[in-house]
Parts: sequence; C-alpha cells; structure tokens
Amino acid sequence: MDFGPAKRRKLDHAMGTPHKVLQSAASIGMSRSRTFILEAEELLEEVGLDYATAFGGAEELLHRIKGSIEAMETHDAIQISEAASRLEKKHQLKVPFPEPRPPKTCNYKVSLVKPTQFNVVGSYVYKTMASSQPAHAVDMVVVMPAETLQEKDYLDFRYFYKRAYFLAAISATLQKALGTTAQLSYELLNGNPTCPVLAIKPVAETKEKSANEEESEPAIDYAIRVIPCAPEGLFPKTKLRLGAALFRLGRPGEAETSPLPTPFYNSTLTAETCFIAYLKVIRQAEKKCAAFKKTCILGRIWLQQRGFEGDISKGGFGQLEWGLLLALLLQGGDSKGHAALSGALSATQLFKALIQFLAVTNFAEKPCILGAAQQELDAPSNCPVLFDAARQHNVAFKMSPWSAELLNQQAKRTRSLLNDPAVDQFTPTFILKADLSLHNFDLVTRLNHMGAYEKTKVPDPRGTAWFVGSDVYRILKRALADEELGSRARLIHIQMPPSSPWPITEKLKSAKNPTIEVGIVFDPANMSRTVDKGPMAGPTAEEREECEEFRQFWGEKAELRRFEGDSVRETVIWKSTTPYELCEEIMRYILNKYLHIGALEEDLTIFGDDLPQLLSLKPSDAATFNAARKAFNTFERDVRNLEDLPLHVRRLMSICPELRHSSVKLPLLVPSKSGPQPLETVISFEASGKWPESIAAIQRTKIAFLLMIGSLLEKSKEGEVKTWIGLEDAGSDSENLAFLDVVYESGAAFRLRIHSDLEETLLERQSKDKTQEQHVRTQASTLLAMFRRLYTHLPLHTQIISTMVTRFPALSPTIRLLKHWFNTHKLSCHFSDEFLELAALHVFLSPYPWDAPSTANTGFYRALHFLAHWDWRADPLILDTGGDMSKAERVAITTRLEAWRKIDPGMNHTVLFVATPHDPTGLACTALNGHARPVKVAAARMTALAKSACRVVKADGVALDPRRLFVPSLADYDVVLHLNPKAAKGALKTYPADDPAAMETDSPARTSQFKNLDRRTGESPLPLAQHPSDALLRHLNASYAGALAFFRGAPEDGSIGAIWNPQAERKKFRINLAASYKPVVGAGAASGDDSSGEDDEEEEAAEVGLNREAIVAEIARIGGDLIERIDAKGL
Amino acid sequence: MAVCPPTIGEFSVLPIAIPVLPSFPRSVLHYLYVRRNAPKIPTVNDSRSLFLTNVPVDSTELQLRILFSTLVGVGRFESVTFEDERKEAQHPLDSQPAHAARLLAAHGKKRKRENEEAERAKEEEAARLPSTWTRPLRKSGSTAVVLLADEKSADQVLKAIAKVHRTKKYPKWEGGDASGTGRAAPPLGLTWLKAHNRMSYPDRSALQASVDAFSTLFAKKEQEAAEIAKRIRNEPDEDGFVTVTRGGRNAPASRNEAEEAKRKMIERAEKKKEGMTNFYRFQLRERKKEEQAELAKQFEEDRRKISVMREKRGKFVPES
Repeated sequence: MDFGPAKRRKLDHAMGTPHKVLQSAASIGMSRSRTFILEAEELLEEVGLDYATAFGGAEELLHRIKGSIEAMETHDAIQISEAASRLEKKHQLKVPFPEPRPPKTCNYKVSLVKPTQFNVVGSYVYKTMASSQPAHAVDMVVVMPAETLQEKDYLDFRYFYKRAYFLAAISATLQKALGTTAQLSYELLNGNPTCPVLAIKPVAETKEKSANEEESEPAIDYAIRVIPCAPEGLFPKTKLRLGAALFRLGRPGEAETSPLPTPFYNSTLTAETCFIAYLKVIRQAEKKCAAFKKTCILGRIWLQQRGFEGDISKGGFGQLEWGLLLALLLQGGDSKGHAALSGALSATQLFKALIQFLAVTNFAEKPCILGAAQQELDAPSNCPVLFDAARQHNVAFKMSPWSAELLNQQAKRTRSLLNDPAVDQFTPTFILKADLSLHNFDLVTRLNHMGAYEKTKVPDPRGTAWFVGSDVYRILKRALADEELGSRARLIHIQMPPSSPWPITEKLKSAKNPTIEVGIVFDPANMSRTVDKGPMAGPTAEEREECEEFRQFWGEKAELRRFEGDSVRETVIWKSTTPYELCEEIMRYILNKYLHIGALEEDLTIFGDDLPQLLSLKPSDAATFNAARKAFNTFERDVRNLEDLPLHVRRLMSICPELRHSSVKLPLLVPSKSGPQPLETVISFEASGKWPESIAAIQRTKIAFLLMIGSLLEKSKEGEVKTWIGLEDAGSDSENLAFLDVVYESGAAFRLRIHSDLEETLLERQSKDKTQEQHVRTQASTLLAMFRRLYTHLPLHTQIISTMVTRFPALSPTIRLLKHWFNTHKLSCHFSDEFLELAALHVFLSPYPWDAPSTANTGFYRALHFLAHWDWRADPLILDTGGDMSKAERVAITTRLEAWRKIDPGMNHTVLFVATPHDPTGLACTALNGHARPVKVAAARMTALAKSACRVVKADGVALDPRRLFVPSLADYDVVLHLNPKAAKGALKTYPADDPAAMETDSPARTSQFKNLDRRTGESPLPLAQHPSDALLRHLNASYAGALAFFRGAPEDGSIGAIWNPQAERKKFRINLAASYKPVVGAGAASGDDSSGEDDEEEEAAEVGLNREAIVAEIARIGGDLIERIDAKGL
Repeated sequence: MAVCPPTIGEFSVLPIAIPVLPSFPRSVLHYLYVRRNAPKIPTVNDSRSLFLTNVPVDSTELQLRILFSTLVGVGRFESVTFEDERKEAQHPLDSQPAHAARLLAAHGKKRKRENEEAERAKEEEAARLPSTWTRPLRKSGSTAVVLLADEKSADQVLKAIAKVHRTKKYPKWEGGDASGTGRAAPPLGLTWLKAHNRMSYPDRSALQASVDAFSTLFAKKEQEAAEIAKRIRNEPDEDGFVTVTRGGRNAPASRNEAEEAKRKMIERAEKKKEGMTNFYRFQLRERKKEEQAELAKQFEEDRRKISVMREKRGKFVPES
C-alpha cells in the first residue's frame, strides 16, 4: 500500500470537520479514489447513530444494573453442585453450565463475593456502531472478584463452571431488581458455548420513549449484555499457550500419553482475562489516530456485507477483531515493534491498508504475529492465528480455517476492486450484500446427518457439528482442492448452525440435528475433469511413498493406469460427466469413506444443480455450437471459392446468437422436418467504385448480386446446396431488400446479406445534409443506425462474445439461462439478444463484490442481481470488453447519457444505455428502427421482475426451487392472446410448390388425401423469412402502438400478453387518433343533442374513449384461426 | 351498448356491428367517423368524396364497398384511398442517382409529355418488387378517403348514417367473403402468414426481371442527369456563374486516395504539434494550471454527484 509522500500525510493530519475532509480529499489526486472518499464520508454520516436518542435510557439502566449487582447476596464457599441446585430452586432459573456439565461428584467449591469492577466495553463506548447492523448491544463486563477464583481454575472448565454460577447469581439478582421492565435471557457470547452471557432487553421503556419523541429518530431495539469475566493476570500466560492441553478430566489413567492441545479453550480463557486490557488498547488507538473510529465503522460495514461477524458461526471475525487488528497495527505491528500504520492516515486510507493486509495474510496458512514474539508459537496447524504478542492472545481464535480462507478471498476481491480505477468502487464495497450462498457458491451441500461419528478424545467446547465441519473441510480440501491434481474447487466454505438466545429458566438445548452446509466454488476448468492423474508410479522411494499416500487417501478408487508417453500413474476415474454430478460423486465417495456420511441418498442434500437442468444444459452443448461454427467456416470457404464473382470477398461474418454460443436453443445442423433454420451472416466485398450512387439502386444491385451468388453456389456445389432468395419485409426502397438463404443438404443453412460501403457513405451524407427535409434526414439516420447495427456492430459483437465464451466457460450457459428467463417472462420481444448477452457478460467483466462466476448458477443469480440493482435512469452500463477503456472515454459515455436524459427526460426515445468500446453511442443494442428497445415500460418491468426474483432468491436461500423464478404470471396482462398450438406449428411450414394465389382461398382440398400423391411429399419446406409469430407481433405493434404494449417471449411462445396504455384511455376527439375510439356518452352529453350549435361542440371537442372491445375483436380477426382464445380483463 | 351520439364534431358517427369470432365471442361495435372530404388543397373530386377516420385495421376496398352498398345500395361506391396509400403516393420509386435528383429538381425540364409520363409509370411499375403480403393492415385509428359516384351519393350516405341511429340497425362488417360479391378479400390469420412466407421467396426469374427493369430505368435517369449536367456546365446563370457539376474534364480523385491524403495530413499536423508541447516554460506552467483547474472542476462535479445521490437516498444505506 502506497500512502504517498510525507507531505501528503501532513495534509491529512488536520482533519475533523467534514468540510476539511473534503478539502483534503480534493488535494489528493486520483479522481476515482477521491469520489470514493466522498462517498465513504457520506456513508459514515448516513449510518452514524445519535447515541443519546438511539440508546435512550441505556445509561440509566446500566446504573440500575450496576447498583443491583453491587447489592447482590453473597455466600461462602459451598460445593458447586449443591450451590447450583440451591440457586435454581430458589429463583426458578437454570445455571447455564457449559457442556460437559460439572460432574456431580466434583468437590470444588464456589463462593459469591460482590464484584467491584464494572466496565462498559465494546462498540457502544467507542461509538463505532452503525445503524445498519442487525442487532445493537451494549456490553458491560463484570469482573469476577479474584478471591472467588483460583489459579488452577484454568484446568478442566473449572473457571467456566464458576463463571456460569456467577452469571446465574447475577441473573437471579437482576430478575428480582428489574422485574417486568426488562426481559432477561441467556445467550452465547459470540456463539461460544463456554461463555454464556445475560442479555437484558428493556421492554416498556423504549415504547414510551418513542411515543414521547416522535419527531426524533425512533430509538433502536437494543440489549444490554452482562458479561462476567476473569480479572486480568489471574492465569499464568505461559500455561495458556496455544499448544497447551488443558483438558485432562476423565482420563486419569492415560496421563502418560500426551494429551491433545486445546487451542480454542485456551484462547477463550485468555480472552476472558483481556477485556479490560483491550479496552485500553483501543482507547489508546483512538487517541493516537483520529480516523480510528471511522475506520472501525467502515470495517464493520464491509464485514457485515460479507456475512462476517464475531460469532463463531459467522466467521469469528467481526468488528472487535477488526478494531483490534487496526489498533495493533497502529501501535506497533511489525516484529520490531514499530508501528505499521501511521496514525495520520485518513479513514479510507486505513480501510484500504487493512484490506491490503487481510489480502496478503492468510491466518490459516501461516500464523500472523503482531508485535515482538517472546517465544516460539506452538500453535497446532489448522487453527488460524492472529497473535497479539503483548497480551499473548490469539485474536482470531474464533475463526475457522475456512472462514480465514474466505476472509482472505474477500479481501483479495475488494483489493482488486479498489485497484480498478475505472469502475464504481463504493457500491460493491459497502452497499451490496454479498453473503448469499446462491450468489457465492456454485454448489451447496447440506449434511443432514453427522454420521456414525465418534466423539474424539478432545472435547472441544464448540460441539460435534464443529468436529464434523472441520473434518469435512479437511477431507474435501484434500479431495477437491489438491494443487497437484489441479484444484477442482477454488473455495470450500462450511456454514455452521448459529446459536440463539434462550430464556434463563431453561437449559441450553443443543440442537437435535445440527446441519452443516458446505459451499463450494468451482474452478470451471478443472471441475469437469473425469480422470484424476495422481503421482507417477516409479521405483524411487520418494515416488513409492507418494503413491502409497495417494492410494491411502483415495482407497479402493485408486488404480494404476498407463497413459500416453508410457507413464504409469496412480489414477482415480469418475463416472459422472457434468461438474455438479462429479462434485457430488466425489463428495459422496470421500465423505462416506472417512466419516460414513453420504452412503445414503438423504445424508447429503445437494443444491444448485437444478438450474442448468431447467434448460437441460449439458457440457456437450459447447460441441454443438462449435459444430455450427465449423459449418459456417465451410460455408465461408464455399463462398470464397466461387470463381466468377465480379468482386473479391473481403469478409464473411456471422451475426446470429447461434454462432456465438448464446442461443437458448441449440443450432440445428441436421435436416429436419420443420425446415431449415438459416443462421444469419453478412458478406462484404472489396471496395469498388462500381456501386451506383443511389441507395435504392444499391439495394437492387445487392439483389442482383445475391441472385448471382445463389446460382453460382448451386452450380459449384450441385446437389449439395439449395438457395432461396427472399425479400425482406421492408418499408421503403432504401432499406435492405433481400437476402439469400443457402441450405445445405447436410442440414446447415445460412442467410446472407450484402454489405456495401457506399451505402453507409450515402446515408451518412444524407443524414447530415442540411438542404434535405427534416423527415428525410431522420429517416436517413435511422437507416444508418440499422446499417451500422447489421454490418458493423453485430459482427463485432459476435466476435467479442465468442472470445469471451472461451475466456469464461460459464458465460455461454449464463446467457442462455438469462435469455430463457426473459423468454418465460415474456420480455424477450422487447430486448435485443445483444443486450442480454452484454448484461450477462457484465457480471463476468466486473464481478465485484465477487469473483467472475464459475458456473451458470452463480452467473445467472448475479445477472438477476445486477438487473435488479441497475439504475438505468441514471447510470449507463459500460462494458470494457477490450480491457483498455480510458477514464476519459467513460466520462464521455456518462456525459452522453446525461445529455440524453436532458433532451428526453420522459425517456421516450432512449431508455437503456449500454456502451462498449466499439459503440460509445450506447444505443447500438438498445434501439431499433429509431425506437427504444426496450421501451420504458418493458425496462421497468424487467427491473421489477428481477427485483422480485432477487427477493425470492434471498428469502428461500439454498433451498430455492429455481423453477419458481421461471413461472410467468399471465394475470398481470390486460389481454392475453392464446395461440392455437397446432396452427402455430402449421404456420412454420410453407412449400415452394404452394401457389400463393391458391393459398389465399385456403381451400383444404388443395392437398391430396393420399400422402404419396401430395406433391409436397418429399419436398423440404421453405425457410422462414421471418417467424410467423414475429410477423404477427410486428403487425400488431405497428397497428396498435398507441393503445397496447405487447409482451411475448420466444417466437415459440404459446401466448402473447398485452397491457392497455393508460394514457390512451380518453382523448379529445380529433382526426388521426392513435387507436380505435368510441364516443363517450357521459362526457359528450351535449353532442347527443342535434340541435345544439355545432360551433360549441367544436370548441368543446367531445371526448372519446378507447374502444377496447373493438380493438380486441380486430386482433381476433387479424389472428384468425391462429388465435385460439383471447382473455381480456374487464371486457 | 349505451346510446351513441349520431354526430361528434362535424363527423357523423357510423357504428358497425362486428361479427362474432370463436376466439373472442362477443358482439361489439366499431365506430367509423364520416364527413365530407375537405382537404387543404381542394381537388375536383372533393364534392363526391367522403373522409373517414378510425377505419378498422383490416379494411380493404372490398369491405368498404360492401359496407357502402348496404348503406346506399350497389353502384355508388367508386374507390377508396387509405392513409398509408396516400403517403406512399407521395414517395414514388426512388430510382434516381442522388445527384441527379438535385439537378433535376433545379434545372429539369418543366413538364413532360403525358404519354412519356405514362410510359415512365409503366417502367416504374415493372421495377417495383413484388409485395410479400396478400393484404395490408392499417394503423388503428387511421383515415381513408372514399370516392363515390356523384355528389348525391355522398348526401345519401350521410343521411343513411343518420337513419342508422334511428333504426338501430347497424351495418355489419363483413369478413370479405360475403356471398353475392363473388370476390373475397384474402383471409387473415394463419393463411395470411403462410402466404407471406411463400411470397417472401418469389420466383427467381421474376425478381431478376424486376431488377433488370430497375437498372434500365436507373441508367436512363442517370443519362438524363448527365445531359442536364452537360447543359448547365456550359451555361452561365443570370449572375454569370457557371455551375460546377460532376463529370468535368478531370476525372474525380479516387475516394480512397483522398482519404489517405487527409489522414496523412492530420498525422503530419499532429506530429508537428507534439514536437512543440512542453517546449517552453510557459507551456508547462499553463498545462499545470489547466490540470489543476480540471481537478478542481472534477472535484466540484463529484461533490455535485454525491449530493444528487444523497437526495435519492438509499444509495448510502448498506443493504440488509
């Protein structure tokens, strides 16, 4: 981390008022980071709490609590079980002893002495709370009087038994003192089962408070936690070192075998004695560094958005650990005792420094020691260590290896985000919530059954779930993330069951069936590997040892195989094919082998593989797309080999989704009954001066050209190729008029359009020609946009997406799923394929706050997340496909969008704005024919649907049935046209032998009743010039643009939805209303009177209402037999 | 259906009963608004034509013929021009070279002889591409002008409309295949769409012929333009200037060459500029000043942006 020269630091020193902060921010260069600073300041202001009002009554309550505890009953030493039962009986509560409970026979004694030392600690005193955190608590530590404890209490939970008894006694006292004004319950401090605490929630008081002060911010729901702790320096630190084994109970005979170390237990004990010490540390840091508090709040938000909290089940790294780490780094982080960070840094700088620190240190891999280490750290492996040498305490003791790994990953992601100056750094860092399993993990497994798991000899206070979890992690890490085999998983995470508060009158119920969730992030390149090649079987001892180790780990699955190059290796072969099945197979095998979990189907529940199955996405799909690509190359060669073409072919480019791995349906490459489905391509020739200087003439020349290509192709590939020249449904002579369909016998078909560079020049000239009439110029610029889309943007876009698909294996299925989602929600007729592809690509190119998705699963959910969060009214979507977009270009794009919004605030012409390096205008894929595509209504619907989908994803979590996201709701539409499926299918086939004149009359006698006599038999149907459903929709849109907005998914969609335009409901009567209207009786009552002067009426301009019935009836007539039924709401 | 006013503004309201279809089994009324045709530029036929607005989208001449014959009997209806057809008429086949069009407009002969014009029309017709639809659809709410036999018929139609309101016997909108006419409008729906696909792939020879006809026409027009250009090249206008036109003595420079030359020139200019930046001290000073100003400006902009975001709120609240 570069903190800049010393001069700059000085500037930062004198900060305090926001104004000064802004000023100093201005003097620091780097524009993006400057915005980041301002945004962070704003965030701090937003989440800041007014402690006086938010914690109204807290001080008073604290005093009352202190007073009551000071007045508590005392007694002399009694035997512990007797004391406990006496207390329980007297006050009807339970003593929250940790498991294992003290044996009845144990003979040590407890006494009660009034505590003298009270302290309020935690974020309440440091004022580092954020209003957005899920729960607010005021922590009050009560130091247990030293005379009640003994030095040897550190052994065998004895301290914790005494602590529990002490807590129960306090609870009894407070229950009596506070009565009904507060609600008391036990909860676990940070989910640590050895440390129960008492939570006190004021009941009635807060209500009165909020009633009194309505105008001020409503008081938050807070709790006061009473935390008993041990006096400082009670236990000798050396005894509590990480590697010590402090639990020896129950095995008196086995003293000679060295007991296993208990690092968690030891650290819990040190933590118990360090409350006050750390309070001092933080106080000092606060004094030394002005920005300390703010950095803590920023850190809290950052952690919170990533699901990290102090609680063991939430990673064990929370606000406190963050603050301690920062304080230690400020006071002497490195081994020589020098401060690693300067206290003069600003909050954002400190935040970035800490992120940098967390990104380069992985607590799980290598113990991290802060301060001068006095002795060797004998920490057991697999235990993350962040050691505070001065206080001999492992700050990260609550963390697990996986949470340390995850924290490290998250920090790395944030670091790369903060190093990317081009993108919005603020929102992904602090605002977006990035802890949803479905967004994070490709596959989530729930272990429903802990297996025939033997209790290990070391009773870890964290319980069985913890044991199983850490074993599962260790095994899976070896099985899935083995570096030498090629790591299949990038990240393995284990989610432990959380703890919850329980009433003081009950015992802590350990969850009957704790379930562990294992989340796995795939490495897309390796996860689909079916053969694991292990170590080489060789003669040397080393090799033999390796092989032995490999065989031992994989058990019976391991076998020797000979590979090419005569290498003999230990191998594991898997049967499955898809990444999900492979992962499941491996997990089931290996967990069963070691933990006896997974043999039964219901032991493991696998989440995440339902989504690809929805579309039956297969790994082999890529091969089909590649085959299409190959067929295209053949076609290109055939065209290039034509000898008699007057111009040389410069390029033949593909422009359709099928040729860029992104169509929902696979391209059709074999002859089918339903006729050929041409893949679209464009051809461009060498520059020539022979094109006529008129757009219309160019279009005709193109037809002649196509006719020529067609006949030449048929001649050169006789019997192999059939060509059809088709006319476009063009509105004017200056549009492209024709295309050539080339159908191969093998089934592949291509549609060819010709690019002429002169056309572009002419259109450009025409659109800029001031002497022309306005409408001519508008038309010319529309045509120009269409031209550029077809011949410039689409080929480039195809190229880009094809490259990206190879770069990101998960992109192709993500695009297809996203398109499918748009299809089912009847949105795709409003969105261009290119837009959807770019939207999916966006989550790969700027994936923050995550990494680029590695499967379609995460890709799809994050794409939805992006669509739901994209504020397209204000922000452009900028895709830096080349990776080299400059800041100036981005600014220019944003400025352009702002300009559009100023010109067209109603967003009638420009709605979505998607810019790529080759299209800085931002409209190439979101405008068609001079109209916005999508229109505002459709774009708003997209956002609304994506938002509700995200809500479902969030609410259902991993158990989500993805089919729920793909249920269309027809109820939203005012009119639904149900197409006749049979007729719609029939519409797909027309034959060259059909006589158009005869078809007009539609006589069924036309076809012979004997199939073999029908002249159409054996003939393959014509290609579709445009899909009949598309043609119908185009006409409906053209006719009813003013009255109805139509919604339809894929062309095969069985129904079309439509919504009435509310603005078209009533109009003043005039010529050329945009839809069919009927006279309204009520409003135009005067007009019913014939005799009344016509002049009056004209001035009044009678109102007319939308003639909905007539419009629907018209649609029924247009659709004819194609429409089976029309459901119209309210008609 | 509630009572409907017989007139609205200067229009008579003509309700039409729409036949019931199985896909939407409801009897509904469509309202056609009729008045005498009074265009801004009067024509000879105005007195015997009627102006309709809100014609049904599936209107064809045949259907309107049937409608008017039910109102006033057979033989009164002559023809109809729909809104989109009128527009099309204003944009004839664009078959001229771009420069020729301008030249013709400025210097073309005043008026061609009639038979020449007819011939040209015929040629243009031959050059038109075949349509791909058996029948067009109108825009909803669009207009049409109906030409009737004589002025009297127009009166009768309006009277008949008034009568319809009294008798409540609304004329029916026939699908087109009503018996008695012998002819039927091409059906819509499936057949219409299938016919469209079939017609999108016209006969190759017919298409070739159409393209050939177009090129002949185009060549002819180009030649005309060349002649005019030649003529005006040699003729000074009233101020004594000679218009510069294409095709002078020197062949026009190739476009590619011109572009190449321009590119080179820009390159050279840029190179020259580059050599001279940061050469003098004042340049450096000015650049620094500019940078500072830019920074200050951006800072202001950022601040503004933040305040906009603050107004929207929500942007600064971490999601839960």
